[in-house]
Amino acid sequence: MFDEEGYRKLFVEESRENHENIVNNLLALETGDDQQTAIDEIFRSAHTLKGMSASMGFDAMEHLCHSMEDVFSLIRSGRREVDASLTDLLLTCTDTIEEMLDAIESGGAPSDEQSASLVQELQAFAEEEGEEGPSPGAAPPAETTPEPVEDADDRPLYTLTVAVDPSSTMKDVRAMLLLQNLEELGTILSTVPARELLEDGMFDGPFEVLIESEAGEDALRTIASGTELSLIALSAGGSLPAALPITPPAESKEAQTPEPSPQQVQRAAKAEKSREIKNIRVDIQRLDRMMNLVEDLVINRGRLEQIAKKHGIKEFDEALSMVGRSVSDLQNLMMGIRMMPLERIFNRLPRVVRDVANHDGKEVELTIEGGETELDRSMMDGLSDPLLHLIRNGVNHGIETPEIRKASGKPPKGSLRLTARRDKDNVVIEIEDDGAGIDHERLRRKGVEKGLMAPEAAANATKEELVGLLFEPGFSTAETITDISGRGVGLDVVKKTIESLKGTIKVETEVGRGTRFELVLPPTMAIIDVMMVHINGMRCAIPISNVVEVAQTRPEAIHRIGNSEAILLRDQTLPMHRLEDMFGRAEKSNTLVVLQNDGRRCCIVVDTVDGQQEVVVKPLSSIAGNCRGISGITIPGDGDVVPVLDVNTMI
Amino acid sequence: MGRILIVDDTMFMRTLLKNILFSGGHDIVGEAADGAEALARYQELKPDLVTMDVVMPKMNGIEALKAIKAADPAAKVIMCTAVGQEQMVKLAVKSGARGYIVKPFQAPKVLEEVKNVLSA
Repeated sequence: MFDEEGYRKLFVEESRENHENIVNNLLALETGDDQQTAIDEIFRSAHTLKGMSASMGFDAMEHLCHSMEDVFSLIRSGRREVDASLTDLLLTCTDTIEEMLDAIESGGAPSDEQSASLVQELQAFAEEEGEEGPSPGAAPPAETTPEPVEDADDRPLYTLTVAVDPSSTMKDVRAMLLLQNLEELGTILSTVPARELLEDGMFDGPFEVLIESEAGEDALRTIASGTELSLIALSAGGSLPAALPITPPAESKEAQTPEPSPQQVQRAAKAEKSREIKNIRVDIQRLDRMMNLVEDLVINRGRLEQIAKKHGIKEFDEALSMVGRSVSDLQNLMMGIRMMPLERIFNRLPRVVRDVANHDGKEVELTIEGGETELDRSMMDGLSDPLLHLIRNGVNHGIETPEIRKASGKPPKGSLRLTARRDKDNVVIEIEDDGAGIDHERLRRKGVEKGLMAPEAAANATKEELVGLLFEPGFSTAETITDISGRGVGLDVVKKTIESLKGTIKVETEVGRGTRFELVLPPTMAIIDVMMVHINGMRCAIPISNVVEVAQTRPEAIHRIGNSEAILLRDQTLPMHRLEDMFGRAEKSNTLVVLQNDGRRCCIVVDTVDGQQEVVVKPLSSIAGNCRGISGITIPGDGDVVPVLDVNTMI
Repeated sequence: MGRILIVDDTMFMRTLLKNILFSGGHDIVGEAADGAEALARYQELKPDLVTMDVVMPKMNGIEALKAIKAADPAAKVIMCTAVGQEQMVKLAVKSGARGYIVKPFQAPKVLEEVKNVLSA
């Protein structure tokens, strides 16, 4: 069985999907293509949210969704146009829904406080229009003229007195169902009150049905004692109250209701052939736990291999190689399962662009490509904020106001492109605007002003070095801090976050043409290729992506520059580190490993290079704390615990 | 006790209903997330009863009901509905729905309706 917690999770998850659907379709409504689909989708999602929140007893959310549904039902029937003010109101509602979902997710229940005023506003919208247009169902019931009844043939007559349970939510539908079910057993000659009134719910208390049927008392009794129904009396025989209107035959009623065309039914029947339910949802925490187990398996397989090597038992080796293959397959499978399409975070961005553009009085068209590109879930969480920041930045600082754009011969609407693609082992995400770009000279000036660059260094700085300043803490080219992208978070934080995901960020900019950010990320963080080395007799792993080469050197090539050392390697001067504070004083060694990060290089001294292997990187536990220079540990086959060097913090 | 096919576009509602029906001793033979899938699953599984959500993407509940009734006039379909959808449910009843249950679901009412429709 399912517990409360399980429902809550499922509820939040599916509610978020519907919430997202509303937001995206609201935005689609504004851009104007395929309005009808967007309206239908919003209506459907609001309705779904209403039903789910009612089931969970979240009344505040139910009321809000209900009011939204009402408004959209007016829009759907063409009695209300969507304008910017309504879109704003509805978007505010979606924000509130999102807050409610956050509250629910963290175990709380949303209160009416947040939504009461919104519900009122929505209702005001709905009522304002409701008075103008004719409302369905308000039309007076069609008059029916009493028809003379043919002389009854020899089928027995019964009079039923039936009451609908007062707690019934739709007594009209209940009455209609009863009459319809009775009709399968015989012919209804009359009802008191009239059938139209019953089917419109215009009755209080019990009603009578006169029916001609051969089905027998028991059958009638069963039907009349159905859900929310109680049979008060059943008597054989009966007479027609002459003055009362008589039910028109059911066939003529049916003709009044719109039927789908035969093509529609056919299309529906053919539309999709049998589709199995192929997807199930799994809690991400369970996946994390499974991933941990797989990692343990990988580690222990390595240990077994070492043991096997020692003993050389042929049968054991064979069995182990079978196990090994299964473990590899399992590992690949697990990594695949954890992958999620980037759409998950991309979907939020159109809304952000709209808000920032509106706020700044700019016109921006956001195009998103490659949302299907997949990334490990753990990466996804970390990537969300930096992306949001870069997108905000693009609109806020990149794209100019329509006036300025026109003056410089550009179309008034700026373009912001977000693309993602898989490039070999990496995922590349690009954010490109066709805005003002950043002036390199201004960067040069500002770099000196802020004391981030010595004047002489600035004078000789390359374009790359200058744009690199953008990622320095405390550097901001915008003259004023705006409340949209200047919330104390700078590009330096973006860069740090991306680096903590083992990714890199680059920027290119050209005055008047625009700015392009490029993020390169590994699709997963858990398993990487490392080079195993010994430093001062201790093992250490270096991510292969950071290794340029291994070189031998002579002591004469090492130069002292102040407190640090450098080495001349093939006409290039590289800073040299001995990592003594981490590993203790090194033995005399001539082996160097050249490391690189984001185009910058350095080298470290190692005793020996042991080889390359694929390892599982485990984060340091919170007990060890944040250890500078170490990104995690790994346990290779022999069970040893080996630190993984964090090259990003070294250069 | 019946073999039941649950049709709803949210897993949340399907799970909720599944657990209610399960507690009533019914056998949930299948689930479908939209109208088109419902029709396909119906023809494949031939359940005793279908619970059909009204508002769904692609093919809505009414269209699916009609398609199922066209394929099998004896099909027993119960509509899952919400307050305010009276007109839709009436349309469904006219198209052959045998019963209806109202969200938020109350387990006793759901089970009563299912029992009554199955035994009718």
